[in-house]
Amino acid sequence: MSDSKKGRRLWYAIGGVVIVAFLAYGATSFKTELTPYVGFQEAISTGHHVQVAGSLVQGSSRYDEASKKLVFSMADENGRQLEVEYDGVKPGNFEDATQVVVIGAYRDGVFKADQLLVKCPSKYQGLEESGQSKRS
Amino acid sequence: MSSRGGVHRVLPWVLFVWMAVVIWAAFLWAPAASGFVGQSSRIVFFHVPTAWVATLAFLGSCIASIRYLKTRQPIDDIRAQAASALGLTFAILATITGSIFARIMWGSYWNWDPRETSITFLLLIYAAYFALRGAIADPERRAAMAAVYAILAFVTVPFLVFIVPRIYWSLHPDTIINVQGKMKMSSRMLQVLFASLAGFTGLASWLYCIEVRLERLRRARQHEELI
Repeated sequence: MSDSKKGRRLWYAIGGVVIVAFLAYGATSFKTELTPYVGFQEAISTGHHVQVAGSLVQGSSRYDEASKKLVFSMADENGRQLEVEYDGVKPGNFEDATQVVVIGAYRDGVFKADQLLVKCPSKYQGLEESGQSKRS
Repeated sequence: MSSRGGVHRVLPWVLFVWMAVVIWAAFLWAPAASGFVGQSSRIVFFHVPTAWVATLAFLGSCIASIRYLKTRQPIDDIRAQAASALGLTFAILATITGSIFARIMWGSYWNWDPRETSITFLLLIYAAYFALRGAIADPERRAAMAAVYAILAFVTVPFLVFIVPRIYWSLHPDTIINVQGKMKMSSRMLQVLFASLAGFTGLASWLYCIEVRLERLRRARQHEELI
């Protein structure tokens, strides 16, 4: 009787340790492994195909007719800027974007993106309520 | 007893009408949100409740598993199994709706955003639960090991559902049920969302009850065949 009780307590202890170990693993390991986004510095120095996130510098975007490319600047939280050249169709909600993610590689002083993801401020306010005109 | 049976007959119809109204309201009564591409904001009325139900079901699976280890009653194992299956199903639905939402709003079905990575982990963890169940023939051993695993699996849920998306920069907007407790939603949308959350919770509870009953019958039949 006391033996099985002892055994049970041991199992509780082992279970507790395993749970704590899981938590510790989650807290430390996930920190570096879970995000695909890299900083500007890393993107520039490696030149690898990476994902970079940052805010869109307002008014910096223009469509380059000659090369048929969308050119704009993005900034990180330190205010550092990165020039991006995107070859593709401009996303419909690009003008509303506050933050963007570019997927591509840094080459010859400019980040050449082959994919452009946008993050828009989602307010869940009706079109009429916020007084904005409807965009397609 | 008969009145209880009556309630049980009526409840699915109440649920049916409720969900029908929710679907109607999600498409026609709630306004389209500004800043979204077209009418895409309406996915939120289905995407958020599926994620919510999945989290709830995983919690249920954890509680039933703890109970099983204490009581060793097969019914608790059945409950844990049914809740895990529901959780996995609704997590897959949340992933699909999320992926469609991401394609429309961000421009990519899948780019390994922290939110997408964390739900992949979650799906793998609970898929492994069923792999584990399938690998053990002895019912009592299977139930005990699955219960221990389900408890461990739930340890990761708060991490993957609540903590990860708040630590990392993500394309995913602030969760609607956020830490600040602020609701950044216009009232009509909020009403539809809450109605949908209630409806989906009811739907999941109903499916859960059916699955528990079915599994009991399956096991009873298996037992009879063995004898």
